[in-house]
Amino acid sequence: MKLFVSGRPAWVSIGLTLAGTALFALLPLWLSPYGVRVGQLFVLAAGLAVAWTVLGGFSGYWSFGNAAFVGTGAFTAALLQLALPGWPAGSAFALALVVAMLFNGLLALAIAWPILRLRGIYFAIAMLGVSQVCFELVSNIDALRGALGVNLIDIVPKGVRPERFYYWALLLATLIVVLVAIMVRHSKLGYGLLAIREDEDTARMLGVPTTRYKMIAFVISAMLTAMMGVIYAHNLGYITANSVYRGDFNLNVIVYSLLGGMGTIIGPIVGAGIMTYVTQVLLGDLLDTHMFITGLLIAVLVLAAPNGLYGIYDNHRLRMRRRKQEAQR
Amino acid sequence: MSAQSILSVRGVSRSFRGLKAVNEVSFEVPRGSICSLIGPNGAGKSTFFNLVTGYFAPDSGTITFEGRDITGFSPVQVAHLGVARAFQIAKPFPGMSVTENVRIGALFGRAGPRDVDAVTTQALELAGLAALHDREARELTVGQLRRLEVARALAARPSLLLADEPCAGLNPTETAEMVTILRRIRDAGATIVLVEHDMPAVMQISDTVLVLEAGSLIAQGKPEEIARDPRVIAAYLGTDE
Repeated sequence: MKLFVSGRPAWVSIGLTLAGTALFALLPLWLSPYGVRVGQLFVLAAGLAVAWTVLGGFSGYWSFGNAAFVGTGAFTAALLQLALPGWPAGSAFALALVVAMLFNGLLALAIAWPILRLRGIYFAIAMLGVSQVCFELVSNIDALRGALGVNLIDIVPKGVRPERFYYWALLLATLIVVLVAIMVRHSKLGYGLLAIREDEDTARMLGVPTTRYKMIAFVISAMLTAMMGVIYAHNLGYITANSVYRGDFNLNVIVYSLLGGMGTIIGPIVGAGIMTYVTQVLLGDLLDTHMFITGLLIAVLVLAAPNGLYGIYDNHRLRMRRRKQEAQR
Repeated sequence: MSAQSILSVRGVSRSFRGLKAVNEVSFEVPRGSICSLIGPNGAGKSTFFNLVTGYFAPDSGTITFEGRDITGFSPVQVAHLGVARAFQIAKPFPGMSVTENVRIGALFGRAGPRDVDAVTTQALELAGLAALHDREARELTVGQLRRLEVARALAARPSLLLADEPCAGLNPTETAEMVTILRRIRDAGATIVLVEHDMPAVMQISDTVLVLEAGSLIAQGKPEEIARDPRVIAAYLGTDE
């Protein structure tokens, strides 16, 4: 069995990802602690956005509710650690991570059957509902401690600065997310998902097992999102339902793709970078107006470049090629 | 069913709200032939394609493909058995390159995973698209899109290709190219059932012609016989006043 349908682009992407990650791994050595915290926000945003892309970007099924998996991942881990006191930090973390990912995979599988039949905007709205329901359940059932809050085990090794440790932990998780996304994109599954995005009926006619593929992508996306959620929760140290079922997670992951390029893997990473830079660095001092300016900026960018920055590049590439062909004629 | 026929249709009927779209139609498609289905608009040609590919189930009658009763099979099942369909309104994946479009056909068709690249290349060449392989589908002309539709269907390695008006809206040069392509596909071993309005193309290319009118099969035979058949002339080609 061939690993990739299109081997060369896949290996090039993997190589670039590893090189880029190595570069980013060195950054904390130069950055101030504040800079490292901004870096954490970027890496978290990129990881969540690429995890969203595995379903939303590739198959065109936009989930407006991925915070459901961030929050449920975080609470699964936290409650499990609460139930197993006295475990050594390393194994408590590892077990919580694995269980949280499996639980969210199962959750996605359970809700996939009814809601992945919905197309387009109806799926998006249903997922918004799912994230709201998860938030309400965790907030209102006392045993789940969403209102009260839960502490997570401290996993930072002695002698490492916590902000650096979590920067690297988030970077490693994001690396895994991106590598999985590349593998999906260049496998038979990825081609099937792209076909579904382009035209689901035609895809089915050509023999793409559309239902199964959508479910697999949804489960992968949920598990990766939960992984990011667990590390994010440890970084917070103490979580409530409000701090992990964040409405802005639902929206931002989509904004990053819109900005950078929908359906690509580099797009959401670039989008997350731009948005983090703009909101945290450029507008960091303008607390009163920064949301207003950010909103305005998104509106302008979406109007000026409906296919994101990648779309601008893509159009340029097509134009150049057409010009070359005409010159040859 | 005779041993040489790849598709055999017996007594197939299908109504929509009381209107008989296909009425007691029976015929055989010999393996390795090009068989054209002609008839005025609304004669039941597209319904017939939808019945064979599993989009609708017939109300009565049986459809046998390669000796197997496929009546009531789903579109995916029918596709996996080796029936591919090229639509009249080409439905390429617009954001993908020509090669990627065809590769999807190969990936989810009957080629083995190791043959996907070879089958893709072969289908591109057969459909005369090799020079356009890295174009985006949205950049193609109508004639090129139609060829892409055929190439993608072909990449699935079908033993039966149902082509829905492959020549509609094409200029004479493009029509001639399409006729050549269809012949090449037949010569490569596939059987083709064609719905087509372009009479010169039908007459040139077909081994058998079937004439449908108001859901019923009114004639079948070699192209030159059909062209002389008075019922066909009356029903389809029209009478001279």
